[in-house]
Amino acid sequence: MIWHITKRELYDNLNSLRFALATVLLLALMLTNAIIHLREHPARTQAYHDVTAESVKKLEARSNSLYRLAAEGPGDLHKTPSLLRFCAEGDEAFLPTHAGGSNFFPGIANVRPIWRMIYPQETPHLFNIRPDFTTLDWAFIVGYVLSFIGILFTFDSISGELERGTLRLTLANPIPRHIVLVGKFLGAFISVNIPFAVAVLMNLLLISTSDAVQLNAEAWGRLGILYGIVVLYACLFIALGLLISAAVRESGVSLVVLLLIWVSFVIFIPNTLASIGSRTSVPIAYMEFWTQRMQLADEARETYRDKYGDSQTPPPVHILGEYVTTEAEEYERFNEAYLKQQVEQGKRARAITRISPTAIVQRLFESFAGTGFERHLQFIENVQRYAREYREFVVDTDRADPESLHVIGIQEGMSQKPVSPEAIPKFKDTLSLSRDFNAAVMDLFLLVLFLVVLLAGAFLAFVRIEV
Amino acid sequence: MLKTLIRRELLDNLMTFRFAAAVFIMLLLVVANTAVLIKDHERRLESYNTALKNYHENTQERKTYTSMPLDVARPPNPLSIFNVGLDKRLGNEIWIYHGLVPTLWDARMHGITNPLLKLFASIDIVFIFEVVLSLMALVFAYDALAGERERGTLRLVLTHPVSRGQILLAKYISAMTCLLVPLLMSLILAVILLTTSTSISLSIGDFLRIAGIILSSVAYLSVFYLIGMLISAATRRTGTALMLAMFVWGFWVLVYPNVILAAIASPDASQARGESAKNQIQQIWEELDRERKQFLTNDAVPGEDPRFGIRIESGVNYYEYPIIDSSVLKRTLVSGANILKLHAESEPMVPHAQDYYRFLGPQMIDAAERTWLVRKPALETIFVQPAIRDRVLLRFSPVGIYDAATQAWAGTDLSGLKDFFTAARKHRRVMIDFYYDKKAFRSRQWFAADKGAVAWESLPQFSFQKSSVQTNAARALPDLLLLLMMNILLFLFIFLVFIRSEV
Repeated sequence: MIWHITKRELYDNLNSLRFALATVLLLALMLTNAIIHLREHPARTQAYHDVTAESVKKLEARSNSLYRLAAEGPGDLHKTPSLLRFCAEGDEAFLPTHAGGSNFFPGIANVRPIWRMIYPQETPHLFNIRPDFTTLDWAFIVGYVLSFIGILFTFDSISGELERGTLRLTLANPIPRHIVLVGKFLGAFISVNIPFAVAVLMNLLLISTSDAVQLNAEAWGRLGILYGIVVLYACLFIALGLLISAAVRESGVSLVVLLLIWVSFVIFIPNTLASIGSRTSVPIAYMEFWTQRMQLADEARETYRDKYGDSQTPPPVHILGEYVTTEAEEYERFNEAYLKQQVEQGKRARAITRISPTAIVQRLFESFAGTGFERHLQFIENVQRYAREYREFVVDTDRADPESLHVIGIQEGMSQKPVSPEAIPKFKDTLSLSRDFNAAVMDLFLLVLFLVVLLAGAFLAFVRIEV
Repeated sequence: MLKTLIRRELLDNLMTFRFAAAVFIMLLLVVANTAVLIKDHERRLESYNTALKNYHENTQERKTYTSMPLDVARPPNPLSIFNVGLDKRLGNEIWIYHGLVPTLWDARMHGITNPLLKLFASIDIVFIFEVVLSLMALVFAYDALAGERERGTLRLVLTHPVSRGQILLAKYISAMTCLLVPLLMSLILAVILLTTSTSISLSIGDFLRIAGIILSSVAYLSVFYLIGMLISAATRRTGTALMLAMFVWGFWVLVYPNVILAAIASPDASQARGESAKNQIQQIWEELDRERKQFLTNDAVPGEDPRFGIRIESGVNYYEYPIIDSSVLKRTLVSGANILKLHAESEPMVPHAQDYYRFLGPQMIDAAERTWLVRKPALETIFVQPAIRDRVLLRFSPVGIYDAATQAWAGTDLSGLKDFFTAARKHRRVMIDFYYDKKAFRSRQWFAADKGAVAWESLPQFSFQKSSVQTNAARALPDLLLLLMMNILLFLFIFLVFIRSEV
């Protein structure tokens, strides 16, 4: 019986104007998305390979002495561009693409300081005078357009039948109401999914047949998960449409209510709440941070001068070693504390937007496409892990040299021997699907919860409706 | 007769649920966002004031002419609450230096924001109108004619001695009156919120600009109402009209403005242009360098050392280094010193140094002016023209026109921001005149403060006056006219369609 109702709904929808318009719109969007990706991805990958090769070359150039490795650090570390950037662009264009170790800082007397991790703070789009626009990614197409289409397919599915009187006719048959509702739900679901599936197929066909972009098995897996999220999200808006359509008896009113809900939840809540949420934990202003950091370095130098003065005869090697190490450590700790504040602010702003399913889907898309904020946090983690590894490598290699005094960071106190370039650990920016999944579980759960609540609401509203 | 028709329509519209919902949601969105935006503005204002305080402190410490960079800051525009435009994004701090003509591309940002927070743009009031008002207008319009035709009431009305034009006019006037209610109410609330905030002061000019924004909003609203009405007149069923209206909205408001800019790649002809400009600029500065070296070799002191072997006891000795940023064609030579106490033996060298800087200063100004002549057109081609092309593309949607018009009124468009940089360039001229006036280049204070510091008080303060309301109006006028023309054309179309349609 369900199947009968579904079939009827489907026939109704497939012949309608909205189905044709939705198909055309989604196809056009998805094809544009694929074309943009094919145009931009190769250049992006090329640029990434160039900069990585450059920084590896620089690193290997330092391998002629272990001291140089210890003093100058690993250089710039770059973020691997995601294969699935066409699914969710996220903040990608604004987020820093690298972090790095650097030692261009004032030293004391005749001692050079050693490297520490620096996290870039610049605003890369300071000169961008082009008008603002949202990037055309899957997250936009799904979050905005697909949800809009979902509403347009369902706003009259119950109220319309009520107005025309056909609902009465249907219910005159011996069918329980929930079967009717499920039938309607399935009908709308399939008819929303057909244009989307076709559009996605065309999109992926275009992307996968091109030589410029190669999707690997993991990427396909991630795409599968993304499609699952799309299905959930589409269900959500269909359930919402059914709920309002059943609760409000007129199609016109039901449409207005749905549009208002859509506008608030899809467009306004994510942005407005994020700017409110970001205010709960504001990191100190960058200038202030900068001044504090400078003060810290000055203080370290002052204490050193107080102890040993600027005398020409340098103090013992181990004291110098202690100075450069603590100075770099303090500095790095301070940098990381500031970064943590910024991350905290970003997290708060994102957490509060979970009220809107669109924001949840945006987050999920970013998580599984390997772009955006969560991805950046993973990158930072990778960078920090690598920094530890690198330091350990320097210490271990130094320990292996019997002639060295084992004072890291001071030329006289360290092994001067060349290191084989292959032995130096290289930075690998990895992404783990299981970690992404763990980060996304909460969001997925919320999405399912939203769906269950809305479906239950639709059921209650429909059962109580008087025909 | 027209009056009766309007009254009927008004009653029909005002008593509906959709009207109540429209008013409610508009008020809610505008009030919530205005509160957020005001807080945001206050924070930017605070950052601006801190920057000013820092500059003032720097002036106190600036003993010689070259000891510290002279910066000026751009105040945040209070009307950015209506349309933020480029106000928040572009640099708001610029270095005034005789060796560099300042442009938008040399600006920096004081109070750098969190780079991890970019995704969520704060929504401005015009954006709310763009999205919600247009949707409301279409919802009001889709059944205006098709609905009456379906119900048969149109036939009834036409049996009376009324012309079809009158019916259209009555419908238009009454629906617009209804739609104006949420628009005006929310704007009034926003302005009230603005005026209650102590940190934001609006001048009479600002109120006139807000009036301009309201005018543009009404024109925009009317365009969407008329689009809805056209659809309603052209289709015979409300269901079809509704679907068409919704997809038209989705396309023009949601899809087109976002897709068109991403889809059409900017032509990369700027590469060659930038390359040639870079070479020309490089030549200018290399020439300066040659002359500088020549001067140093030919003078009484042997060697090419611009420090003339001057030794100091405290302060910062003379330094010279180039600043080159080829991505924005920036190039200059930074030179300066802040000598607080001279070594006694170096005293005889001071006149030689003075001679050198007297030579170098005007040379650098000249090089900077020549660089500017090359740089300005090149930057126009590389950065400004693509941005202008983007805006032209956006104008194919009423949203783009409306956005451009309101930005022009608010002064947050490109021209409005360029005004600031023009003012900065003027201030550089003022500073150079001040230098000449004080014979700064040949003075000892150019690099050393041991015989008296520079009297900076006589340098006129930098002040940035926003462009006049007339200028804003002139900038907004083309877009406003475009909107009005769209209105007239749409109305004519509807009239033609409706006259010929059978009831």
